[in-house]
Amino acid sequence: MSSINVKIEFGGGLELLFSNQRSHRVSIPAKVPLSSKPEDAEKSPEDKPADITYLMYWLRDNLLKEREELFIENGSVRPGILVLVNDTDWELEGEGEYAIQEGDEIVFISTLHGG
Amino acid sequence: MSCENPTTDTDALMPRRKKYDKSRTCVKCKENVGNIVVRHAVYCRACFVPLMTFRFRRSLEPFVNAKPDGPRRTALKPLGHLTIGFSGGLGSSVLLNLIHRCYVSPDPALLNQDGGKDHPSKDPVWRKVFVCYVETCDAIPGTKDRTEEIRNLVQGLNGVEFIPLRIQDAFDISWWRKISPKNLPFIPTDASVQSPSSALQAYLGSLPTSTALATTVGMLTRVLLQYTAFQTGSSHLVLGTSLTSLAVSLISSISQGGGFHVKEEAQEEWFPYPVAFAQGQVKSVRIIRPLRDVSTKECAVWAWWARLDVIGREQWEWPGTKPGLGRLTKDFIRGLEKDYPSTVSAIVRTCAKLAPKGETSGRCMLCERPAQAGVQEWKARIAIRSWKEPAHSNTPPSVASADALAPYLCYVCHTTLTSRGTRALPSLFASISTGHTPAVPTWTSSRVTQLHSAAAAQDSFLDVETDEPVVVSRRKMGQEELRQALNGFILED
Repeated sequence: MSSINVKIEFGGGLELLFSNQRSHRVSIPAKVPLSSKPEDAEKSPEDKPADITYLMYWLRDNLLKEREELFIENGSVRPGILVLVNDTDWELEGEGEYAIQEGDEIVFISTLHGG
Repeated sequence: MSCENPTTDTDALMPRRKKYDKSRTCVKCKENVGNIVVRHAVYCRACFVPLMTFRFRRSLEPFVNAKPDGPRRTALKPLGHLTIGFSGGLGSSVLLNLIHRCYVSPDPALLNQDGGKDHPSKDPVWRKVFVCYVETCDAIPGTKDRTEEIRNLVQGLNGVEFIPLRIQDAFDISWWRKISPKNLPFIPTDASVQSPSSALQAYLGSLPTSTALATTVGMLTRVLLQYTAFQTGSSHLVLGTSLTSLAVSLISSISQGGGFHVKEEAQEEWFPYPVAFAQGQVKSVRIIRPLRDVSTKECAVWAWWARLDVIGREQWEWPGTKPGLGRLTKDFIRGLEKDYPSTVSAIVRTCAKLAPKGETSGRCMLCERPAQAGVQEWKARIAIRSWKEPAHSNTPPSVASADALAPYLCYVCHTTLTSRGTRALPSLFASISTGHTPAVPTWTSSRVTQLHSAAAAQDSFLDVETDEPVVVSRRKMGQEELRQALNGFILED
């Protein structure tokens, strides 16, 4: 199975949930089940390119150390967490459906600590 | 585009609605591909920087001069210095960065290099800039003391002076004596409380709800910043409240009965009582929130692209209690901002149009904001608070305790101190006993002392506008008479 290498950055205090480490280099499968949720993966035989939603669950299962509810809520990142894909707002790239490319830099920034 | 039947044709799902208008090209330069979506508009990184700078300066500069600017912009000449209220959070980190790059150490990348008003001139706008931080770890159990972390961050910037405070300074007589005029009489209250920390914890431990705790910590922090700004000779105090945070504080304040302060939540001009304070050139402090047009998302992107070190503020919940109104409001506004970003701006703009009804009756002794006339009468009409008829008296409180101060509080402070939750709260500070009446902040004690001085003179009354005692005639009080009047305030040896 081919994989793609991605650089992940956490900011705004979100790194505290990921071993207090801001920068991570991870390798994720290039093709993933149609349903990004691991619990539903077996039910869906078809696959798709790995997207941000899949990456989010992958991070939860492989790097997140505590307080899952501070990162994921209702199948997406928690409100107040900003996502940048190669320095661009993920809202311009299709949000969770953006297909991740080799060498992409995905940044998760928490805005949850106010003014 | 028509909607097909998704059960027979699985490809015919309605496409997700875009979060931006038109195309991905920047709406400003119309050349570059956009990097960020701000309330449905797309901006590239190159255009985002001047946009953010413009919004910041537009919210601050018209209010720099003593007389706010009209249509014609004049040179910036403030009466005093500048104090930045810094919490370590996202908004105040961005505010500090913008202030430093626009006024302290002008950065040509933010200012127009072609000259004119925007050109960094040799004379700085502010003669001195102070960064004031209030540490709240002693008010919130289990949170970290970040004073040194903040000090290191601020000292990395040239041209600013760091002023650390602790929230218990609000109950510290030595702090009050340092900032108040030397001839101002002051009688400390509650002889049984030994230290500012104990007084703070006793006060917070007596609060009835988690909402009251968060509101009180915010109020004490704000008033400490105001007095400190005045004491440093600052004519302006700037806070890092973003558009999102402002929407949260407006809705949260209104839901706690703070509708009368809706204008003060955004911007206010404050001066300390009594007149004895105003001995220098600076008579008042203008409290401004220059990021009030900038959302939290924009602050986060600015902080990321500028590589700012954001220390952050700890989120804390009172264990064993439901989330307070502030927390619930914040979660609600954040959800709105994610799905309907323009509504957050609509909340702030609508509140800016509100003009509260009712007359002002002096100033609240706790929060130092205008008190609405008739608060006690209104509360008496809408709820039974006691089986006894309320005693109407013009005599000032004999003890400067929270209970006795009711007639001198605004609606919000009265509600904060007296509202009851549906269940008993676990003790916040186990070491503090709740048997005695908690002390009140030093500025409140000072006002009570003034009231007593006026009442003891008997032939004087308080000016309705300024709360200053107006002496009509004088007589000498005997020692025993004076001692009896001040008996409750004298500390044991």
